[in-house]
Amino acid sequence: MSADSTAQSTPPPVVQVRDMDFCYGASKALFDINLKVEYHRVTALIGPSGCGKSTLLRCINRMNDRVPSARVTKGEVLVKGKNIHDADVDLTQLRKQVGMVFQKSNPFPKSIYENVAYGLRIHGEKNKSVLDEAVERSLTHAALWEELKDRLQANALALSGGQQQRLCIARAIATVPDVLLMDEPCSALDPISTLKIEELMHQLAHEFTVVIVTHNMQQAVRVSDYTAFLHLGKLIEFAPTEELFTNPREKLTEAYLRGTFS
Amino acid sequence: MFSTAGFCLISGAPDSRRMNSLPPPSRPPLRSVLLMSRKRTILGLDPQKLIKYFFGSNASVAIIVLVLIMVFLLREGIDFLPTYQRELQTYRRAGLEFCDIIDQPLQRNQALSSSLRQAVSASLETLSKPARDRRDAAFLLKRQVEDKTVQQRESLTQALEKTPPAPEQIEVFRRELGETSVAAAKALVYPAFFSAAESEQLQREFAALTPEVTDLPPLLQTLVAEFSAKDREARTKFAALVQAQEEFEEATEPLQEVVDELKAKALETKEKAVEFEVLETNRQRLLEAAATETDPKEKASLTKEAEESVSEAVNLKESIKEITGRTAELREQVEKYAVVIEKAAAVLPKEAGTGAARKLVNEVREGIPEHAREMRAAAATLEGWRWDKPVSIFSVIGAFFFGTQWITNSSWQDFFGFVPLLSGSLVIAAIAILIATPVSVVAAIYTNQFASEREKELIKPVIEFIQAIPSVVLGFIGISLVGNLIKDVSEWGWLQWVPGFPIQERLNMFNAGCLLAFMAVPTMFSLSEDALNNVPRAYIDASDALGATKLQTVFRVIVPAGISGILSAILLGLGRVVGETMVVLLVAGNRIAIPDFSAGPGVIFQPAHTLTGIIAQELGEVSRGSSHWQALFMVGIVLFAISLLVNWCARAVARRFEPHKA
Ligand SMILES: Nc1ncnc2c1ncn2[C@@H]1O[C@H](COP(=O)(O)OP(=O)(O)O)[C@@H](O)[C@H]1O
Ligand SMILES: [Mg+2]
Repeated sequence: MSADSTAQSTPPPVVQVRDMDFCYGASKALFDINLKVEYHRVTALIGPSGCGKSTLLRCINRMNDRVPSARVTKGEVLVKGKNIHDADVDLTQLRKQVGMVFQKSNPFPKSIYENVAYGLRIHGEKNKSVLDEAVERSLTHAALWEELKDRLQANALALSGGQQQRLCIARAIATVPDVLLMDEPCSALDPISTLKIEELMHQLAHEFTVVIVTHNMQQAVRVSDYTAFLHLGKLIEFAPTEELFTNPREKLTEAYLRGTFS
Repeated sequence: MFSTAGFCLISGAPDSRRMNSLPPPSRPPLRSVLLMSRKRTILGLDPQKLIKYFFGSNASVAIIVLVLIMVFLLREGIDFLPTYQRELQTYRRAGLEFCDIIDQPLQRNQALSSSLRQAVSASLETLSKPARDRRDAAFLLKRQVEDKTVQQRESLTQALEKTPPAPEQIEVFRRELGETSVAAAKALVYPAFFSAAESEQLQREFAALTPEVTDLPPLLQTLVAEFSAKDREARTKFAALVQAQEEFEEATEPLQEVVDELKAKALETKEKAVEFEVLETNRQRLLEAAATETDPKEKASLTKEAEESVSEAVNLKESIKEITGRTAELREQVEKYAVVIEKAAAVLPKEAGTGAARKLVNEVREGIPEHAREMRAAAATLEGWRWDKPVSIFSVIGAFFFGTQWITNSSWQDFFGFVPLLSGSLVIAAIAILIATPVSVVAAIYTNQFASEREKELIKPVIEFIQAIPSVVLGFIGISLVGNLIKDVSEWGWLQWVPGFPIQERLNMFNAGCLLAFMAVPTMFSLSEDALNNVPRAYIDASDALGATKLQTVFRVIVPAGISGILSAILLGLGRVVGETMVVLLVAGNRIAIPDFSAGPGVIFQPAHTLTGIIAQELGEVSRGSSHWQALFMVGIVLFAISLLVNWCARAVARRFEPHKA
């Protein structure tokens, strides 16, 4: 596969999933997943609803830990070469490295400033100028600075839906994670807000590695460099986006792309 | 009417149309028959509307009842103001107010006197205590021997009194008494401050006690004499202090005499005036009845009765002269009194027997000039006092809301001042909330965020069960258990730094506050827990995904997001606490006085009365319609208003902090 050839010429992938099985209690949700996510690329996960995209995404920052009896039963997940299930892995640090943006925007009922500063504060940052700087940088990255710089103390819940989602992105990148996970970040937004976030995605790829779940194939084409297609918990095909969409290798992928899916 | 007509039109029409749209059934389905029959009108009204009215009216009942309660309370209570106005007017006209101008500040004399008395006895004790202890111990021992031999003594006494005397019997009893006395005297424990020789002598003397000898045994006499000598010595040593105390106590006598005479006169006038008022209202009633009576015979008899009951009004103007006429004399006495006590203060020695006594003496020395100043100031206002100055309704309102005395069934004058009750209620509520808030909020946070499912299943029902405990049972517990517990704890030596320890009263505001806190916990816990539960899951997700620890998420996200609910839970708990009656009635100590806030935080260990308690305690005993009855209703109105206010605040808080949904 193409992923193998890149592995030799470039540093190891930022996220690597190896032969992973994942179970919710007795029911297996993911089967034998292999995935490599490259630095500063946007990787999209597509597939029909319920195929395990969110589950796979949540494996990368161990958000699944909170579901009782959910666990990886085989294989491993490496972030920057380190197995994230090792005993010496600090979950707090892992999540600082791997940020996440949710399907439905969820800013805290605090001021805009406090929302963005939250991640730094919980990691012990108290210096006001450091916080100020991080807030400005993150909001700028999220293309919100110009709009909001005059009302940083306003309540975040007063913002529009699209602004709220971009604020969540700003909050997630304030701690400068290596990887940013996004679970259908636009599914609850109107087309214009969606467009803005898609534009943002390209910008973000300059500094972060992005993994995005989407059920919108056009979106995957527009924003991603690589695309993984999942079906019933199995990773059917993983390839550069253009290749996967123009020339899918698997029958299943083709059927799904055509929309002739049973 | 319009809608009814419209309905009837439609209700006929859709019949055929519905048949068309449905697959044609062989007979009309039951459902449609039922539905169509519902579309008939009842008494010309649309049944849908009837249903709406039915539910609406049930909701209105609650509101109507609330309004009725308010109207009832107001009707009974609002008359209080004119009634109290009349009473205060009589208080002034009859001259009671005049007497109180001097009599009230004079009360301070007693407090100062008692401080001095304490200082004197503490000082004397420094010298006389050992002698007194020896004397008292010896008497106690004697008493113990007598108690143990009481039977034998009685037999002997009876035998001795018998006529003719039976010498052999007397001998037998005497021997028996001798034997038991010897045994009893031997069994006694002689305190260490008796020397061995003294103990021996005491034992001998006790063994020889018989009912015939009435003189004290010699050693006891010596002990008594020893004490008197020591006491005399002490009194000479602290002569200055003793004398100052005596002078101070006597200083008030001439003044008190004049005041008492004036008070007697004023009271007499007042009683006459009140009696006249009663007769007069009766007469008015008779006349009214006569006016409406149609039967001429009855009418004549009513009128006659009314005429007969005409009584002479008290000439207030004349009687007040007998009081105000002595203003100059009164002022003179006050001045004399002030001079005497100031002199006493000047000769009050700097030294006293003990540190505590010195402190008391110093307090008195500082208190006396202030007291004298107050007395002089009061005397100066006597001239300006006018018996016929009207009592305005505002001053009556002030006398109720800012009055510092709640005195009822007094032979002198009833006062209905609200402040003692309000302050009791507020202090108790504050204690309860200060205790209950941390407990219930912390419990709610723990249960909601940290407890396992099994713990939750245990904690929630247990806390909610507290609500089921009848408050009178809690009152029992407060009286029998908590009171003693607090008292015992307050006597522990190493806790004496706590202000107010050791406490005087087992039933006090702190005790009541603790129990009310216990009662408020279920409300506050459940509502706080709900508030935390309502914090959106998405906030927690976001915080977790940013790497927050559980504690960080709880204290930086969940609690702030639930704070409006928690605050309104606290306020609703406050509402519960303010309105609670049984516990405070049983446990708060029911002393109707403003707590002495000069005691600092220790004030919470004082007894107090409350708004709710006073109503529960007194309403059953007062005569309906009296000023006291009306005053209690006024208290009820204020209580009601406070509850409304607290509830309104709870709602306002919930709204104010509610994160506005985007
Ligand atoms: N918390 C959970 N507990 C049990 N099963 C779950 C849970 N979350 C998801 N699943 C199951 O795992 C499968 C994959 O779900 P998900 O990853 O959410 O799919 P997608 O995001 O692709 O729609 C589904 O069959 C779903 O029912
Ligand atoms: Mg999903």
